[in-house]
Amino acid sequence: MSDENKSSSSPAGGEPTATRSAAPMWIVVTTLVLLCIGGYYFDQHGGWFDAHVYAPYSSAEKLEAYQPQSGAAAALARGKKTYEAVCGICHGADGMGKPAQFPPLAGSELVNSAGVNRLIHIPLAGVNGAIQVEGKDWNLAMAAMGAALPDEDLAGVLTYIRTSWGNKGGEVTAEEVKKVRAELGGSPQPMTGPQLMKMPE
Amino acid sequence: MKTGFSIFLATFVALGASWSGFVLAPLLQLGGAKQTVILQSTDNWPQQRTGNATLGLQVYRAYGCAACHTEQVRQTGVACEVTLTSLGVQQPADFVAFVRSLFALPELAAYTNAMAASLDGWNGGLPKTLLTCPDKDVASAMADRLKAAGIKSETSIVAIGPDIARGWGFRQSVAADYLYDQPVQLGSLRAGPDLANIGVRAPDARWQLQHLYAPKSITPGSTMPAFKFLFEVRQVGAQPAPDALNLTGDFAPPAGFEVVPKPEATELAAYLLSLKANAPLYEAPFTPVTAAK
Repeated sequence: MSDENKSSSSPAGGEPTATRSAAPMWIVVTTLVLLCIGGYYFDQHGGWFDAHVYAPYSSAEKLEAYQPQSGAAAALARGKKTYEAVCGICHGADGMGKPAQFPPLAGSELVNSAGVNRLIHIPLAGVNGAIQVEGKDWNLAMAAMGAALPDEDLAGVLTYIRTSWGNKGGEVTAEEVKKVRAELGGSPQPMTGPQLMKMPE
Repeated sequence: MKTGFSIFLATFVALGASWSGFVLAPLLQLGGAKQTVILQSTDNWPQQRTGNATLGLQVYRAYGCAACHTEQVRQTGVACEVTLTSLGVQQPADFVAFVRSLFALPELAAYTNAMAASLDGWNGGLPKTLLTCPDKDVASAMADRLKAAGIKSETSIVAIGPDIARGWGFRQSVAADYLYDQPVQLGSLRAGPDLANIGVRAPDARWQLQHLYAPKSITPGSTMPAFKFLFEVRQVGAQPAPDALNLTGDFAPPAGFEVVPKPEATELAAYLLSLKANAPLYEAPFTPVTAAK
């Protein structure tokens, strides 16, 4: 051990000596700069170890943005889901309603109408009292089931209703729902059958 | 040995760092991989192989197929395609004029040439892909403008890359694809084509078997060796075997003989048919190709 000490401090023979000295400043600075560049690059392209993020997607947000949403099909699928959760309990997953309790939506003239004004009023305001659907009398209160749904979701549900089970109605847009909602105001009273029929389609 | 402990520590750190990087980090990242749900569907991905296909993976491994074939599709980019589905009340000529009026928009500057070229000589046939661009915002802004003009369009996501251009897949391969491969046969050399979705490209077991027996009978220029030892050439019995290959010309066996696959060949073919990397996943999205509307 002492030999080692001696040899490293020996000045004789021009042998190189190991001494303790600080690393040159340029190495420190270069290393730090490289670390910064590397860290920035990782942040921009690495996806932070997310198991779902592969190149060419550079982050979870980018990947999310490229998830396919083919407009009409996606809205319809969403509408079906919402229908089954909110409306299907009474009106049935097949839209046939329940005899003498809940009117059917399949084939209903209110659903298949040319305009959608009346149809949008029903879930937004609710219905109370007698109403005629498919030539039969129904007498039951329906709460404003759609009032709590966002415009897009309610539009999706109504579009689903109007295009399913053999119904031949068209699309209902979120703008149309929004317009009716604005007309109805904050807490609308349930509509009666005659009131509904007096409205434009 | 004053420095013994330092040497041990330095070695430990060096090996530990590479172990963490090569083993621990991937394990933490992908070790918990499970079946996932295919986009816009309720089906799971991937499906466990069954029967012959499970055995076929070992045949594939035993004959070193991975020496010349890869099972990994690469992707270099992603693009949005705006496809017209209905022009509404507009005539094609009016529509082209309308699109040309949009060319002044700075965001579309990079795509005007391609759009102009694709509209040249267009006879109004639908569906028509109008715009292909990597920027999702540009594509959806375009779709919104078309919608405002009463034109219906659909925006689809397509994967881009040399492998995808060769028709070897719809999207890149991701870790989930290999969940039930034991061992994973990634491969690193492509003397032959990539096989990640050969089961989609050639979904016929008879095709696969004939190709294994005599690749040149299907692809004249093929450099693939013929795996004739996986088949038995035998005399036709009272009736021809139902699984005998339907060979013609130079590849046909002598008269009175038939070529019948041995179990290994059947298993390998079943494995090849199970390679179907065609499902859109969250980590590798694309819009599934549906029938034209």
